[in-house]
Amino acid sequence: MSWTATLTSLKKVFTLLSALFLFSCGDTSDSERGIRVALVMKSLANEFFATMAKGAEAHQQKMPDRYELIINGIKDERDLSRQVAIVDEMVALRVDAIVIAPADSKALIPALKRAKGAGIVVINIDNKLDQELLAEEEVKIPFVGPNNLTGAQRVGAVLADNLSPSDQVLMLEGTRTSFNAQQRARGFELAMNEAAIEIVDSQSANWEMREANIITASMLTRYPDVKGILAANDSMAMGALAAVKTIGKLDAIQIVGFDNISAVNQAVTAGEILATADQHADKLAAYGIDYALTLLADENAILEDRETPVDLVTAKDI
Amino acid sequence: MTKHLSLLLALFLLILFFSLLNPLFFSMPTIQAIGNQIPDLTFLAVALTLVMITGGIDLSVGSVLALCSSIIGVHMISNGASLSEAFLISLFGGALCGLITGTITTLGKIPSFIVTLGMLECARGVAYLVTDSQTVYIGSEVGVLAESTVFLGVSPMFILAIVIVVLGQLLLSRTVYGRYLVAIGTNLDAVRLSGINPTPYQISVFIISGTLCAFAALSLTARLASSDPNAAIGLELSAIAAAVIGGTSLMGGRGSVIGSFIGVLIIAVLQTGLASLGIDEPTKRIITGAVIVFAALMDFWRTKQLRA
Repeated sequence: MSWTATLTSLKKVFTLLSALFLFSCGDTSDSERGIRVALVMKSLANEFFATMAKGAEAHQQKMPDRYELIINGIKDERDLSRQVAIVDEMVALRVDAIVIAPADSKALIPALKRAKGAGIVVINIDNKLDQELLAEEEVKIPFVGPNNLTGAQRVGAVLADNLSPSDQVLMLEGTRTSFNAQQRARGFELAMNEAAIEIVDSQSANWEMREANIITASMLTRYPDVKGILAANDSMAMGALAAVKTIGKLDAIQIVGFDNISAVNQAVTAGEILATADQHADKLAAYGIDYALTLLADENAILEDRETPVDLVTAKDI
Repeated sequence: MTKHLSLLLALFLLILFFSLLNPLFFSMPTIQAIGNQIPDLTFLAVALTLVMITGGIDLSVGSVLALCSSIIGVHMISNGASLSEAFLISLFGGALCGLITGTITTLGKIPSFIVTLGMLECARGVAYLVTDSQTVYIGSEVGVLAESTVFLGVSPMFILAIVIVVLGQLLLSRTVYGRYLVAIGTNLDAVRLSGINPTPYQISVFIISGTLCAFAALSLTARLASSDPNAAIGLELSAIAAAVIGGTSLMGGRGSVIGSFIGVLIIAVLQTGLASLGIDEPTKRIITGAVIVFAALMDFWRTKQLRA
């Protein structure tokens, strides 16, 4: 090895580092240890969480002196291990509060317990942690978020109103390991049972458009008489819509989704999708941060779980 | 060590860079957080290094990890087995996956790329099947293995990962077996012509890979205190990236386990550093991609200079 070689590589590394510097400097340095709140979300590729991040940023900009915000997400909804790692990293960075939308209702609990043990305020938003396990581990974490069960039940009821008893429908579930996927599936089932409509097939498309598209297409060949599709989120509703369009059955099959992402909002306006639900992602994070700030101001404050509104979105609402 | 000088330099500069931007970055808790999250990727990177040196590839490691983790969880929770029993069975499961892919690849003369891609799907499917697509929560019985308070401020899994790295490097550079792996990756025909049957070596390297997946599964299961059938999707790509950053050739015949381990460290420091700054997701991914390519380039230039 030669020193000149090392020197050349050294120079090149510095060029890269200065480029990186331009990318990211500006906001994070030289703050004199004010309150720091870490928002830990799921996939930022999902519009729902992107909206949530924007809502949190807007909230922070309204009170820039009150706290500093660190936003992190994971690359897709199922990257559980990375989310646990982020929580550990935020604990290491000694943030004051963690506001988290957990990717899994159980597996995040040990990491959050560690965070609480380190004296960090933890608030659970969006997807509710498993309450039994929290009790078992003797951890108390307030929850701020929507009731997915009743939300899904109401969306399902809209579909039921447009169908007649003993009609057949399909269901696309989210990732089955997550609590809100289970809740939405139950809500849909309750609405269908009430209207005596039969769910002939139900599969998980892992919240994803492409997977939902493939699964719906194959379901439709097996059950050609299907009149409706219940999708547990809007990405999957879009995938189902594309599959229905491909076989030219747009008039015969009604689709409902959940989340009110902009693409589905447009589809609802155009009459291609019947209904979706708006959970107000932008406000969800802000509520969670408010809770965290309250607890930081008064550590003895007792906070009850707070249910946030879920609004139905149909063509006549827009 | 001089062989890995440029890699260590890159790692050092990354740490320096993040420490300058965020004074809290260079602290014991952050180092522990990084140390706690690297064992799973380390085991997989060692596995990939050995397979890649023979000129093969193993894309199934992420799924086999999830399968082994599922075996541990289900066996402990549904069947009431002890952790050691459950881990033993998952070791067997991982090795079996490796035996299947290794045998089909070698005897069927099919590229390992496609056989392990098939195993990637199958193992994931079996993982969903045994767990019924549910996360299996185990608790502190396994979680203790990932706790950093146990010994010298590092977790038992971290120590095990270091032991495996050292053993892997010794196996590769100090044993006849390791020499054969390099020879197979360099020139398979020459190996055959010199009267050595490469088949058992080629199969065995996949068995080692599958077994290491079980170790990775143990460490991930410990960190999550649960078995997640969705675990480690795409982790095979990080493991390949770590190995390539560390100087392992995708063409076979060249590589080092220590180098791959430094590759793992570079990826982990980068990930943690970017998270500590709270940089937005698109920028994060652009930077990560650029650094991976740059680190590999740096190693490539240096190797060329060393040869010249």
